Amino acid sequence: MFLPAGSQDETGIQISNRLRASEIFRRVTQKRDFQQISTPVVEYAHTFTNEVAGMDLHSMLKWFNGEGEIEVLRPDWTAAIARAIAGQHPSKQKWSYQGSVFRFDKEDTENRQAGIEIVHADRFFGEAESLLTAVTYLNNINIHSYVIELGHTGIFDALIAPFTFNKDDEEELLKAMHDKRSDLVEEIVGKSGNSELVKPLLALIDAYGSRDIIDQYRKRWADREDLTEILTHIEKLIDLLEASGVTEVIVDLGRVKNLPYYDGIMFRGFLTNDGSTCFSGGRYDRLYQQFEQTTSAVGLAFDVDELAKHMEPEQEPEKICIIASPETHAIAEKFRMEMEEQVVDIQYELKNQTTYHQIFQVVEENSQYKVVEK
Amino acid sequence: MKPVIALTKGRLEKQFLKFFEGLGYDVEALLKKGRKLQIETREFSFFFAKGVDVTTYVENGIADIGVVGGDILIEHQPDVFNLFPLPFGHCRMALAMKQDYQWPDQKKRIASTFTNITKSYFKEKGESVDIIKLEGSVELAPILGLADAIVDIVETGTTLKENGLVIEDEFLSFSARLIANRSSLKIKRDQLVPVIERFKEGARNV
Repeated sequence: MFLPAGSQDETGIQISNRLRASEIFRRVTQKRDFQQISTPVVEYAHTFTNEVAGMDLHSMLKWFNGEGEIEVLRPDWTAAIARAIAGQHPSKQKWSYQGSVFRFDKEDTENRQAGIEIVHADRFFGEAESLLTAVTYLNNINIHSYVIELGHTGIFDALIAPFTFNKDDEEELLKAMHDKRSDLVEEIVGKSGNSELVKPLLALIDAYGSRDIIDQYRKRWADREDLTEILTHIEKLIDLLEASGVTEVIVDLGRVKNLPYYDGIMFRGFLTNDGSTCFSGGRYDRLYQQFEQTTSAVGLAFDVDELAKHMEPEQEPEKICIIASPETHAIAEKFRMEMEEQVVDIQYELKNQTTYHQIFQVVEENSQYKVVEK
Repeated sequence: MKPVIALTKGRLEKQFLKFFEGLGYDVEALLKKGRKLQIETREFSFFFAKGVDVTTYVENGIADIGVVGGDILIEHQPDVFNLFPLPFGHCRMALAMKQDYQWPDQKKRIASTFTNITKSYFKEKGESVDIIKLEGSVELAPILGLADAIVDIVETGTTLKENGLVIEDEFLSFSARLIANRSSLKIKRDQLVPVIERFKEGARNV
């Protein structure tokens, strides 16, 4: 029997690390007073493809239900969570979730995520709490070598706002900025008759790096209060992260939203050793407009599969074997209950004694059973 | 760690080396590589692969940057930073067929290595076609009667001409491009940006 491409079984370190990552995430978020939420794996496609959420149906695992409506396996948590918590009382602000998302356009069809969402809260509070939860979680799973990147959708939006683009050109421009494709940015902006925008956008493509970039752009945008406000906002978050012990924070002022619902700050965590993305998220207030709510919403999701690959394996506890028989299995079980710290295996026949630190056996002495070291 | 650069083997490789030498880099080790697929120089680690594989290596972070034809990027749409064009590897995409060939009344059959580009081209024209995927020597398909026409890259047009094919339409032009891994560009910025800037400057001055 074979597995479809993009699916895989899990054994060994990968699954034990992933389960540990999930358990630690539950503990960390519980300790920070997040409430757990879960949504169904099967949803209507419309939850994700509507005009506000704007996701592409092509990459979803989908089928028609008996009523002819398209159902999908959950392709994204944020839109699903927004649907679920839009109906909750606004006093409930901090939510955490764990589960899989399913997409065709990724290397693995199933991707396990663990994430948080903070809604109806003060905007800076939500962003700060999201980032600090991410930092605490990474510390708790002993991942210390990472870089946090901050960006903001408002920069690109503010720069192009005074200019007119048709919808197709604007979408193409957004994609070209996302790909840092300078020649195409120049071509689109030039052909749409907005040539004075070429220079600022080309500069923005290269506006990534350490926080010094913010100082450079504060001078460059001295006459743009809207843009300097965004820089101040990003700088406040960098200060917060640095004060909390994060040493590597970078910015990409040219980063644009890759999902239409992003609406403000965007953050991402890179693992330094191989550059993989371990978390991403940001502000998405506009996602709640579809539920006629004007509110604040921010969150991030960890790629638990990626984290599991990078976590050190757990130190194995002492492993003990008790040799028993059908007649003495209950005696061995009693002994096992007394060994709270160790892993206790019961076998009727010892197959591989090298895997155990100690081996015991149940013996009969004076018509009494007792457990002795072998 | 040195920047890792993935290069497309074959035609682009030679043109890249000329460009790279023009930027003032030492290319001796690359010229003398023989059949080796990996070369270490004082400043870089290079490896050589087929164009589409270059995009895969860069997308997965095995290489930090790569040099690849624009045709490959449009066809395969890898998730990489598609930075800027390089001044070599110029070619265009063309629809070609046998001289004086009459299109059939039914749906056309088009052979191509670039099935996605072919699909978009005919979609834009509002026409349904059957696309036959071939891995190489696409010019044979109309000659042997497998397809009515082909969509393929054309550099000088000599191969088409020698095989009795004529260009019906030209619709995209490309050159080699510099691509970068999305994370490497950020976390290895200090190492990569000076190289990228030198490439950019070199491309501008040609």
